[in-house]
Amino acid sequence: MGKEKDIKDDEIRIIGVPESAGGKGAYKKSLWERISSIAPAAAIVAIVAAICLAVWFIPGRGYVVHGDAVAVSGLNVEEPGDEHSTSDLPSENGDIPYLGNYSDMEGDAYTEHLRDTVNDIPLDIFIPHNASPGLYLGVPELSDRRIVFATRAADVRADNGKIVGAFVLDGQPLSWGLSKKGYCGIIDGNITIGVADNSPLFEEATEKGGCFFRQYPLVDNGVPVENAPKGKSIRKAVCDRNGEIMVVMSITPESFHDFSQALADMGIRNAIYLAGGTSFGYYRDKHGNQNIIHERKGKAYQYENFIIWYE
Amino acid sequence: MPTHLVISKGTELLRVPLDALMYVSADGNYSTVVTRDSRATLLTMQLGRVETLISEQLGSSGNVFIRAGRGLIINSEYINFIDVSRQILVLSDCSGSRHELSASREVLAKLKEYIESTVK
Repeated sequence: MGKEKDIKDDEIRIIGVPESAGGKGAYKKSLWERISSIAPAAAIVAIVAAICLAVWFIPGRGYVVHGDAVAVSGLNVEEPGDEHSTSDLPSENGDIPYLGNYSDMEGDAYTEHLRDTVNDIPLDIFIPHNASPGLYLGVPELSDRRIVFATRAADVRADNGKIVGAFVLDGQPLSWGLSKKGYCGIIDGNITIGVADNSPLFEEATEKGGCFFRQYPLVDNGVPVENAPKGKSIRKAVCDRNGEIMVVMSITPESFHDFSQALADMGIRNAIYLAGGTSFGYYRDKHGNQNIIHERKGKAYQYENFIIWYE
Repeated sequence: MPTHLVISKGTELLRVPLDALMYVSADGNYSTVVTRDSRATLLTMQLGRVETLISEQLGSSGNVFIRAGRGLIINSEYINFIDVSRQILVLSDCSGSRHELSASREVLAKLKEYIESTVK
C-alpha cells in the first residue's frame, strides 16, 4: 500500500510518473525565466493594488462591490447591474453602508447575489431580501417555490448521522451539547449570531418556537476566531454585518484562518461556519429564477439540516 | 493494461472505466468521483488515498490523471478550457459532458503550461 504524498494548493502532480522522470518537472522553467515571466504581471498587480487601496480609503465608502461576476461551478450568476452597487443606506448602527440593495417599498422575496474579492479570496455573497429565516430538517425540495435561499447549517456526524451540538427546530430540541462555540439563534424571524459556551437563545428558541444551532465560530465582534482544523476547503458562513444578514462562500479552497480574516476585513461583526462547503444549496434571484449553488451529491444523512429563507 | 479503476472500501466498491472518469474532488475527509455521465459518487476516503489507488493500479498508464492542488484529481484528456485570471477550469468531452471547476491561479497556470508543453 502506498503512502499519500503531500501536495500544496499551488502544485500539480502527474499521477503514475516518478518526479525524477518528469512527473513534476517536465514543465519547470529556470529561475530567471520565471522571474522574467512574472515581472510584468507583478507590476500590473502592484498598480491595481494601489488603485484599489486608494478607492478603499475614499471617505464614506466602507466597501466596494464590483460587478464582474462570472459563472463558475454551475452557478447561474445574476448579471451585474445598478442594483449591485453599494447601497447608500446606513446600516442599523450607522457605521457602514449596507452591501445589499434596499428600497423603502416592500417587494417580492428574493436573494441578491454579489461577488467580490477580499485579500485575494474570491467570495460569493448572498443576501436574502423580504424573507424569513428558519431551519429545515431533511433536504428541501427544489419545487418548493417559497424558498428563496437554502444551504446546509449544522454538521452531521458521519458515523451515526446525528446532529453535532445543540439544535432546536421550531421550538423542538433535537440535539444537545457544546461541541462548537459559535451559535445562531432564529427567534421571531430575527437571526442572532455569536460565540459563547452557554447561550440563553437555546432556551428562548424552545420557549418561543424558534430555531438554534451551533457551528465553528469565525468572527466574534469583528475579530477573527482561530479554529483547530488547518486544511483548505470551500468555506461558507452565515454572517451579521452590522445588522445585515448574509451568507458568504469562498469560491476557492481557503483555510479557516484566511476565510475568517476576509470576513472580518469586509466588515462582518459576527459569523459562524456552515456545513459542507460544496454541499447542495440554491437560491431564487430577483427575476424569480432558481439558481443551483452546488448540485446534490450522494445520499442525505438522516438529520441533514438546512438554514432556509422563506418568502 | 488496466481499463478500469477499482475503488473498494468497507462494503462498497466503485469500478469506473478510465476514459469515463472525469475528475475527483475533495470534500473534507471525503472525495467525490465524477464520471462522464455527470454522475457523482461520494467516497469515504481522502483524495490522497484516491491518488495512491490510481498510481498503484494504473502505474505509468495513469499519467493522464493529474493531481491539481489539494482539492482535485483531473483527467487531463478532458481539459477543455483554462482561464487563469478567472480561476476557471472546464473539463469537457465536447459531446455533452461539461464541468466548470475552480482552482488556484498557480495550479491553473501550471496546468496550462503543462498542456502547452505536450503539444510542442
